Amino acid sequence: MKIILILLLTAAVFVLHAQENESGEYKKRVLENTEIDILFNYYEQDGENAAVTGGIGTEELTDISPTLIVAIPLNDDDVLTINANISAYTSASSSNINPFDGAQPADPFVASSGASKSDTWVNLIGSYSHSSDDRNRIWTSNVSVAAEYDYFSLGLGGSHTWLFNEKNTELSLNANIYFDSWSLIYPVELRPQGNDEPDEDDYLLDDEDDFYGNAFGTLVPGYDPSFTEHPDKGRNSYSIGLGFSQILSSKLIGYLSADFILQDGLLSTPYHRVYFSDKEDYFFQNFHLADDVERLPDSRFKIALGGRLNYFINHRVSLRTYYRFYTDDWGIASHTASIEVPVKITDKFTLYPSYRYYMQTAADYFAPYNQHLSSSEFYSSDYDLSEFSANNFGFGISYTDVFTKTKLGKFGLKSIDFKYNKYDRDTKFSASMFSFGVKFIIDSAI
Amino acid sequence: MKKKIMLLAGLAFIILSSCTILKEYEKVNINDPDMALADRKIDKFQTTFQSYREAASGANGGKTGGGCGCN
Repeated sequence: MKIILILLLTAAVFVLHAQENESGEYKKRVLENTEIDILFNYYEQDGENAAVTGGIGTEELTDISPTLIVAIPLNDDDVLTINANISAYTSASSSNINPFDGAQPADPFVASSGASKSDTWVNLIGSYSHSSDDRNRIWTSNVSVAAEYDYFSLGLGGSHTWLFNEKNTELSLNANIYFDSWSLIYPVELRPQGNDEPDEDDYLLDDEDDFYGNAFGTLVPGYDPSFTEHPDKGRNSYSIGLGFSQILSSKLIGYLSADFILQDGLLSTPYHRVYFSDKEDYFFQNFHLADDVERLPDSRFKIALGGRLNYFINHRVSLRTYYRFYTDDWGIASHTASIEVPVKITDKFTLYPSYRYYMQTAADYFAPYNQHLSSSEFYSSDYDLSEFSANNFGFGISYTDVFTKTKLGKFGLKSIDFKYNKYDRDTKFSASMFSFGVKFIIDSAI
Repeated sequence: MKKKIMLLAGLAFIILSSCTILKEYEKVNINDPDMALADRKIDKFQTTFQSYREAASGANGGKTGGGCGCN
């Protein structure tokens, strides 16, 4: 028995020694075990101001997004995190990039069955973080790739965090760069003229060359928009963020942040239609043929200032608040305020109702359907750039087992989350979202 | 804009000058998971949706980069 005890003590000393740093102090692992988050989201929206159809038309969209996040401790100090996301959507508005499917008369309020009705966005993010021995400095770098049918993005970033005042104060600096590129897809009636001879059935999706002739000039006498393609396919984004958090008392913690973002390149969406009030209107079936596509400046500078204040009311109830001010050189200013009140109903279950208010002013280049002038340099009828306010009500429930008693093989169940969000604008737009998440801890570190 | 920045800076100064330094063993309330300053992981979907549908949201996601979010 004594021998076993001595062996156990020796092993314990060896393990502890292995966790000491060079200065001989005990060093706790940044992440004890591999953690796996499996997340799933269902989203649906509807509205009557689709940008694809120039500010009128259905905005019906559904999206399913599974996500996998794996955080792996590589050693005492380093953690590798892999984040894989898929977003598969079906969109009535983007289906109307080509509304002439031959199944029914084209109409901005009716979805087309064309190829652009659905797409899949795939995103992979890898990040690596290193903590100093005293855990007062953290370096993180990340790389991301995102792709969908007409869009590709490559991102690089890094951050540095300093903790001081016995870890009561935290200062962070982060920087990110994204290199994005478009495959330019224009509204069908504006696509460049091809070599095939136009014929009467050019509005049917039965021929790859359909629409690449000047089909609508033949079908709708007088329709001859002066359309020029975008000269640029790239979009670059550069962001720098500063964060500062401070423990204010044993029950109160605050956070301030400032983000500065510069974008350049093609900031317009190439298949967003625009209609001019000083041009004659041309219709084919029930569909208004585009005068042009959205044209926006090739640079945008954004500033966002935010603050959080969390208060621990008692061992059952906390208060989480957030405020953010935003402004940019397109004329948009915005205020966001939110509050969440987590309530622990048992030691494992927490309810967290939330409310968020958002308002923004319109971009200088926004006007509703058919109200732009052709003499303007920039124009858009994307209602995401319009003036509006929005309310979001959320309700979440969380189950947490800190001891991960429930096991699925080597996987210990740490938490389960479910949340419902309802979002309503003061325009005719609303959305709902169901989110689900489950977290597992793998018993032994990889 | 200048006034707002001054106001924020003033507010930050008042908050910081009133704070105390807590020892690790005094941080039991602050370390409660519900007091975390970061968003819950499950909230990432809401943040993504906001960066798509709101012109002013999103520092690094959605329309800023990483996906067009234009549907």
